[in-house]
Amino acid sequence: MSVQTIVLLTIFVPIIGSLTIPLAGLISKKARSVWAILIGLATAFFASMLIPFALYGGELVIRKIMILGFDFTLIVDALSVFMSIVSSSIGALIVIYSIGYVSHDENQNEYYLIVLLFIGAMMGLVYSANLIFMYLFWEIAAIACWRLIGFYRKKEFIIKADKAFLVTFFGAVVMLLGFILIYSQTHTFDLTQMRGVAVPGIAVLLILFGMFSKSATVPLHTWLPDAGVAPSTVTALLHAAVLVKIGVYAFARLFNWTFILPSGWQQALPIIVVISSLVAAGAATVENDLKRILAYSTVSQIGYIFLGLSVLNPVGVTGALLFLLMHGLAKAGLFLCAGIVEHNTHKRDIRELGGLIKTMPITAVTFLFCAFSVIGIPPFGGFFSKFMVIMGTIQAGKIWVAALALFVAVLTMVYLFRLFNMVFLGETKLAIPEKTPGMLFVVIVLAVLSLLGGIFIAFPTKLVGVAVSEIFRMGVLR
Amino acid sequence: MTPANLLIPILLPVGLGIISFLIPSKTKLIREIISIIGAGVIFYVAVVLFRIKNLNYIVPWAGTGIDFDLRLYHFSGFILLGLSGFLFLIVLYSSIKMRGHNRIREYYGYVFLTAALANGAVLANNFVLLVFFWEGLLLTLYGLITIGGKESYRTAVKSFIISGFCDFCMILGIGILWYATGTLRMSDISVQPHGLTAVSFFLMMIGAIGKAGGMPFHTWIPDAAIDAPVSVMAFLPASVEKLLGIYLLTRISLDFFKLQVNSAFCITLMIIGSATIVLAVFMALIQKDFKKLLSFHAISQVGYMILGIGTGIPIGIAGGVFHMINHAMYKCGLFLSAGSVEHRTGTTELKKLGGLYREMPVTALCFAVCAAAISGVWPLNGFVSKEMIFHGSKETGYLIFTIAAWVGAIFTFASFLKAGHSTFLGPRTKDIPRVKESESLILLPMIILAGLCILFGVYNKLPLTLFIQPILEGHVPVGEHLDFSNHGLAVANPIAMISILCLFIALAIHFYGWNRGEKRAYLASEPIHNLPVLKMLYNKSEARFFDLYEQGVKVLKGLSYILFVGVDRTIDWIYEKFVTFIGRTFSRALSWAHSGNYANYLAWCIAGLVIIILFIGKLLR
Repeated sequence: MSVQTIVLLTIFVPIIGSLTIPLAGLISKKARSVWAILIGLATAFFASMLIPFALYGGELVIRKIMILGFDFTLIVDALSVFMSIVSSSIGALIVIYSIGYVSHDENQNEYYLIVLLFIGAMMGLVYSANLIFMYLFWEIAAIACWRLIGFYRKKEFIIKADKAFLVTFFGAVVMLLGFILIYSQTHTFDLTQMRGVAVPGIAVLLILFGMFSKSATVPLHTWLPDAGVAPSTVTALLHAAVLVKIGVYAFARLFNWTFILPSGWQQALPIIVVISSLVAAGAATVENDLKRILAYSTVSQIGYIFLGLSVLNPVGVTGALLFLLMHGLAKAGLFLCAGIVEHNTHKRDIRELGGLIKTMPITAVTFLFCAFSVIGIPPFGGFFSKFMVIMGTIQAGKIWVAALALFVAVLTMVYLFRLFNMVFLGETKLAIPEKTPGMLFVVIVLAVLSLLGGIFIAFPTKLVGVAVSEIFRMGVLR
Repeated sequence: MTPANLLIPILLPVGLGIISFLIPSKTKLIREIISIIGAGVIFYVAVVLFRIKNLNYIVPWAGTGIDFDLRLYHFSGFILLGLSGFLFLIVLYSSIKMRGHNRIREYYGYVFLTAALANGAVLANNFVLLVFFWEGLLLTLYGLITIGGKESYRTAVKSFIISGFCDFCMILGIGILWYATGTLRMSDISVQPHGLTAVSFFLMMIGAIGKAGGMPFHTWIPDAAIDAPVSVMAFLPASVEKLLGIYLLTRISLDFFKLQVNSAFCITLMIIGSATIVLAVFMALIQKDFKKLLSFHAISQVGYMILGIGTGIPIGIAGGVFHMINHAMYKCGLFLSAGSVEHRTGTTELKKLGGLYREMPVTALCFAVCAAAISGVWPLNGFVSKEMIFHGSKETGYLIFTIAAWVGAIFTFASFLKAGHSTFLGPRTKDIPRVKESESLILLPMIILAGLCILFGVYNKLPLTLFIQPILEGHVPVGEHLDFSNHGLAVANPIAMISILCLFIALAIHFYGWNRGEKRAYLASEPIHNLPVLKMLYNKSEARFFDLYEQGVKVLKGLSYILFVGVDRTIDWIYEKFVTFIGRTFSRALSWAHSGNYANYLAWCIAGLVIIILFIGKLLR
């Protein structure tokens, strides 16, 4: 198969496949579940088929000419391949986990349809090299996200879903204005033709609205903790695989790979994102809701990814991209562990839980593994990525920002241990066993991957290294 | 030997750790036998490597200057030898003491992983690799403390967060050093600290002191003494962490940074060292639990090492490093003897113990030797290394630090008189039934350690020339005298005289207190405990007022609350209330306008039409 075919399959298998879910649902429940898993796995498989191509520094631009400059342009390079693998493989694992998790819920056809459409939109966005198509996939993701957050049709849940949709939609529309502003300067939406262009600060501001709202960065973040009303699988998907990673990826694609940031933003961005990280870490320390704590933790960790990208040097960007992967694995693990706890105990307030390590030992240990990775403790994967983000920040001469980022890491230890201690240790309040072997399998895989990702850091680093050298090849950055 | 053999001290313990995890917990003896043999092999490898001296192993790792770079040279070989020696003794001891523990699989697993990580940290020649192993130790420390019991996880978290904080400081320091020097290779770095690199020095110093358990990063150790198994205390805070922390501190102040005698950096180190000595020994003095008393000494003794290294004078530095290995031996021995007492009597509360020397003579003897060594009694190893530190600190001209060290010596001996007196001497209490001496595998490590304390004291030339002096080669001006063994056991000088006088003062203090406490030895420290100002300070300290962790967590919680309410909730309020209010007001205004009255709608239409016509007219013009 040619690279072009593989890319098109990666995008359209989940998108078109998602539409066939209701048909499979007509046959039987089981057929639909198997079909959904197959589509998820196929997407991940096609994405990883591109590794050899990307690893040797291959770069392919696929262009289908359309009217008014709205060309359907795709870019296949190490950056897009890396991101698509991260999203599709974590997404596939979450689909597998879903089988056990949503098995008693209604509207399962809709669930799988939207989840796969979501993954497909993500794939489309990742490979898009045209701002308009990027926006298009961006909004498909927003609609999918809105439907999934309100999956349990309670009124207050739907309000939260509306909130998420409105905030991200507002951000995206503002971003679109930014795109148009750039168009007025360059007369193209094609990213490959805009490499090395210096964009005006106002356009950066408008685009950042979109990215920050999607990636839940302070002050556009509060919809994300509220989105915890969704099924845990959905929150895992939003936090680890698809939704919040959109903004970060778009940042890397636009402001690292394509455009040159104005120097004012180069100074301001690290400070903004580290403050976002700090505020969210503080909120996570105060909250008592299992999933809200993890959600704030995501906001806080996304700050690290943005930090690594915004310091604009190879070490920082490498760290940020690695953290995309490691955080994805670990955070998916944490949410899915939380899902097991919630699924079995029907409780989310950590003050009502305790001592679960006795009845849920595997969940507890995998939770701890993932927590260590998020904190950044070696030999877990989070260590290298966070370490490199901080090193990159120091190399950019921003020592105070790095110190603040490390302070946030201390807070991360505090709130994750608080969470772990209150849920799994101490006095036993509810003794409920972990049933669901399928769900356990997925969390074990995620925890083990978090560990192996650290021990065999050289492997992901290779691909990321290619992506970073491509970013810096054009001399776009220092 | 090929350089790849440097991986053995890392991979072999990892393998043993995994095997221990896999062996079912019900099996008898197999785990113990494999562990003892494995630890023996690791020790043998360390001996071989120590004799080889120089090896270097590099493979690329995570790019951008981050290589998997191991380097064996004299100093790292020496620490490796120490680490594997203690591993062997602890494994030997644990084979009896930990037998039948319900988490035995994890225990051995963590012990071997600790050994692997510690060996890796010592051999690392790239800062990232160092941090990788160094910070990885947090995990095994956490795991080992949780084995202690149901509530020990609180202490485990405390140790994790304190050590994590110190490690993060070190990471920042390493980052700055990388930024300043452009390399991560440890053997390539040697800078004069000023400006940014001075900041880096302080941050890395926090990392090293935090690992060694110096003040103010020590507060988890006394808690762990109660919560963690005693063999864990003997293994981690007493030996492995001291070796690592002081190893790094020595590397920092000798290699990475060139410290001048009496520079601000040296003075800072000496202040931290002497404060640690004095404050911790005062806490140790009043403890009424054997293990807790030992744990405060584990902190206090670090002060001597930091003080010695901080002098920047060869004899002081050599004394500090020598004290490190001496301390590891006698403190490990002391913890093991406390464990032996606990093993038989089931308690370490001094009040309940007494007169055990008849029933447990070997334990009592080993305790006596190690206690004499830590107190600096002639001719044991503690005497020699302390003398070297006294000489070094006096040479700096700041007599205050020497005096602090002497004060420490007085109360060290006083508290060990109290501990030994109330455990092994005095009347036998009725709280404990008759006991037997512990099994020989428990006694053997203690005997070895006590023997080494005597050997390293009486024949101090051996360790000094074999281990310590080569470390300083290349760090003193050419031609300067590098043989410290002539100081050794000399008593005919004023410093040694004062040190010996300190011991007599301690004896007097103890017997005064013992008399005042109606001949109950565990009350011997009460006269000092009840001194006017001290009593208030002691009370505050017992209430954890001076515990940086407790206060720090309070501050973090307060800060978090401010961030949560002040920023996060305020922003959310704007979304939830303000934005929705505007939206609602707007739509209410519109719905008010849409009253269903045709005339109204017609008026709207006409108005719109007029606007469009005006607009088009403007365009046409």
